[in-house]
Amino acid sequence: MPFDFTFTSEQEMLRKAAMEFAEKEVAPKVEWMDETGETPIELVKKMMELGFGAIVIPREYGGAGLGHIARIAVLEEISRISPALSFCLQIVHLGQAPLIYFGSEEQKKKWLPGMAKGELISTCAVTEPTGGSDVLGIQTTAKREGDSYILNGRKCFITNVHISNMHGVLAKTGEGPKGLSFFMIEPNTPGVKPGRKENKDGLRGLNTGELILENVRVPKENMIGSEGDGLRIALTAISNIGRPGVNGVALGIIRRCLEEAAKYSKQRILYGKPISELQAIQWYLTEIYLDYETTRLLTYYAAWLRDKGARCDAENAAGKYYSVEAAVRCAHKLIQIFGAYGVMREIIPQRLLRDAEVLCSAAGTQEIMKLVMFRKALEYAK
Amino acid sequence: MRILNIIVCIKQVPDPKEFSKIAIDPVRKTIVREGIPSIINPLDKNALEEALRIREKYGGKVIVLSMGPPQALEACKEALAFGADEAILLCDRLLAGSDTLATAYALSKAIRKLEPYSLILCGNETVDGSTGQVPPQLAEFLGIPHVTRVRGIKIIDDEAIVESMMEYGYRIVKVKLPAVLAVVKEINTPRILSVFGIISASSKKLIQWCVSDIEADIDMIGLEGSPTRVTDVFTPEVKRRCEVFRGPVEETVRKAVRRLHEIGVF
Amino acid sequence: MSGEVWVYAECRSGRLMDVSIELINGARKIADKIKSSTASIILTDNVGQLADELISYGVDKVYVVEHPLLRLYQNDLYTDIICEAVLKYNPEILLIGATSIGMDLAPRIAARLKTGLSAHIVGLDIDENGILKQIVPGFGGGVMAVVTCPKARPQIATVRPGVLAKPEKTSKKGEIINFKTEISEEKIKARTLEIVEEEPLGKPLEEAEIVVGVGLGGCKPETFKLIRDLAETLGAAIGGTRPAVDEGYIKEDQMIGQSGKTVRPKIHIALGVSGAMQYMVGVMDSKTIIAVNKDPNAPIFKMCDIGIVGDLNDVLPILLEEIKQLRKT
Repeated sequence: MPFDFTFTSEQEMLRKAAMEFAEKEVAPKVEWMDETGETPIELVKKMMELGFGAIVIPREYGGAGLGHIARIAVLEEISRISPALSFCLQIVHLGQAPLIYFGSEEQKKKWLPGMAKGELISTCAVTEPTGGSDVLGIQTTAKREGDSYILNGRKCFITNVHISNMHGVLAKTGEGPKGLSFFMIEPNTPGVKPGRKENKDGLRGLNTGELILENVRVPKENMIGSEGDGLRIALTAISNIGRPGVNGVALGIIRRCLEEAAKYSKQRILYGKPISELQAIQWYLTEIYLDYETTRLLTYYAAWLRDKGARCDAENAAGKYYSVEAAVRCAHKLIQIFGAYGVMREIIPQRLLRDAEVLCSAAGTQEIMKLVMFRKALEYAK
Repeated sequence: MRILNIIVCIKQVPDPKEFSKIAIDPVRKTIVREGIPSIINPLDKNALEEALRIREKYGGKVIVLSMGPPQALEACKEALAFGADEAILLCDRLLAGSDTLATAYALSKAIRKLEPYSLILCGNETVDGSTGQVPPQLAEFLGIPHVTRVRGIKIIDDEAIVESMMEYGYRIVKVKLPAVLAVVKEINTPRILSVFGIISASSKKLIQWCVSDIEADIDMIGLEGSPTRVTDVFTPEVKRRCEVFRGPVEETVRKAVRRLHEIGVF
Repeated sequence: MSGEVWVYAECRSGRLMDVSIELINGARKIADKIKSSTASIILTDNVGQLADELISYGVDKVYVVEHPLLRLYQNDLYTDIICEAVLKYNPEILLIGATSIGMDLAPRIAARLKTGLSAHIVGLDIDENGILKQIVPGFGGGVMAVVTCPKARPQIATVRPGVLAKPEKTSKKGEIINFKTEISEEKIKARTLEIVEEEPLGKPLEEAEIVVGVGLGGCKPETFKLIRDLAETLGAAIGGTRPAVDEGYIKEDQMIGQSGKTVRPKIHIALGVSGAMQYMVGVMDSKTIIAVNKDPNAPIFKMCDIGIVGDLNDVLPILLEEIKQLRKT
């Protein structure tokens, strides 16, 4: 499988646009986000205006249809400045995924154009207090009543819940693996209540919270696919958009670690010379660089597979697993390089570690990733 | 006043952030630009942004014109992604070695094919040559007025009132259109490329012209048409003492000041 | 004897620009080498003593064009007049100060005369064949090119202010020629309506004996205060880098370097300046350069006379003290 590692001119322009947006408009807000945990709504709006929300939506529905490699490039550039805002964007894409992969023509025409413009932002609400990994254990119900379904339940740790006007919800219509269905709840539907806002220690400024559904009436036309398709829809969306999105964010963190480590080691003087001349520091830098290159390769390779339309759940899981582990260890090393300064709130290393940690259980825990990879590994038994 | 074509001249230049990596070929006495990423000259972006704003306000068509090697097509694509309606790359081996006069001449011949136009906008200077000479020379070849260092443009009927920056202050100039206006960065903040702009670029007109397309006189272009010659290129030499003091702060500063006194500075 | 070496004498509000006076020095040196004479051309509404002043600085001749319409710089008229004068008198070389007006005017003149022009040169010399060798900075000043105009005439160059030294005044005599040419208002297509002046703050950089340069490293409130204290004690003018302008610590007209001012003080103190060529090209001609920077690998340490590696907040107070002590003794 010959690879061409060059970006197209469109992908390059997209990367430049994301970098400029991040450096000029996002950078000034990063400290405030981390301190207050508040979500910068104007920046979310600006991202939508610039079209970053439209990257994976096909052209015929008003999107840019630029593909998964382009998406990763944008997520990486924004994450390099603000992992929290980049994650917000990746979940905006996740909210579109069930529709893009499984929506009917009517449903796509109805919602995708608005999503491409950023007028409609949807969550992808799966996790409940009963568990995220244990998807079959969810308790939210969707009871058929005439031409509608009545939804009742409580979702937690849902990203973008307070800034979305639509919600994609996984609910029980029956029992067992074929008992789950996926519904799109439109704006201003009665009974939909965003609940408590979570106070995370990392990715602060990313909106995470509860979604409470009290007798929410949803027309049957808003169900994606048929009854029983829910599990497949949710997992496909999470595998192909959610996990790679975590990759992209982690990649930005790792790159930032590399940049900060290199800069600091050249500047910081100990024993009369820059610490970049001390072997211990050199090896940290080398390891961070190696993590960056390997994460990049895994991430863009999986994206390339997806752009070709290949099934790549194991590669998606491998990417998410590897990139998050790498981000955490690179950030940890960055703190060692900075010494005591590394754990001071005003300086970046500790924030990168906190941000990386939150990625661990995003789009599935690291342990679930291993399960997915295991299945692929076993296929090699011939 | 109906605004017709607004022509924006752009140039693809090496990224100034990487200038420290520029090397000089000691034999051929030329600049080695390989491996240095290229961008649209920053002031040309200001010019393009201003053109787009004028189009938004008064109508008209924004046409981007660039003279350069084949890789300058990327800069033209980017200009289309920003919102220009059409882009033309003037590319021909015969144009190589052009100084500002030959460049201005070639551009003027290309612009003659884009008549009628209301306005020509350029960046006041480029980051590589920084001569700032092309816009006035272009205007001379076209027989129209020009104003440099423009930081504000107001269009009233068939004239523009512009502010041209000076060392301490500015002058207000009333200029008849069509005219060449060379803009400085104070004029606006260029927009950020949008995804929609990027995807629309591929469906816009991007064409290449060569010397015969613009009916240029061979004697007026390239090395032949350049009255100036570069006879040498070098990195400036610095002969300084380079006595650097380091160590614990108090001691270091004292030593340094003592040395300054010794060499007669203080 | 070859054609004359001309200097365009720019005047604003009845005063000669310093650079036009500096150019007379350069013109004289060149003219001596090619065994020719120097001349100035001045366009104004009221020449007053200006022609005499030019002659006192050493030009052999002054071509005067006087007309009310020339009070403010009008590109159309100025270009017409100077080109006509050039075609009539055939100077060999024309030097123009690289001011905002000079850079607006010179290219158009060169294009009309189909001759060569080099921009804001930082050095010039003339060879045995009478070819002007013009040193032009490029790529932010990191690269220098030697440009010539072998065939076309006149050879024209715009010269950066501050590069040449001002000549001493003499009691030489010279010739004043009133150049008559048709000047009509209809020719004006880009009309300067008015010049609005904005006062510069503090001592103009180009005249200061000591110049303090502020780089990004100095752009913090407490640090900048220390810098100001140092500048005040030394009676120094404050300039700085592009990043310092962007951070709002100094004004655009205090910017030094490729896109800013060239200074030639006795002492230049660069504080928190990395030493990028874009900046250094504006201070190259300082007699002594002192640099303070916390990065021992900063390029400036290879381009200074005395360097101090350290944090500005630590160094400056001690530096100030030491200098004060020194002055007492």
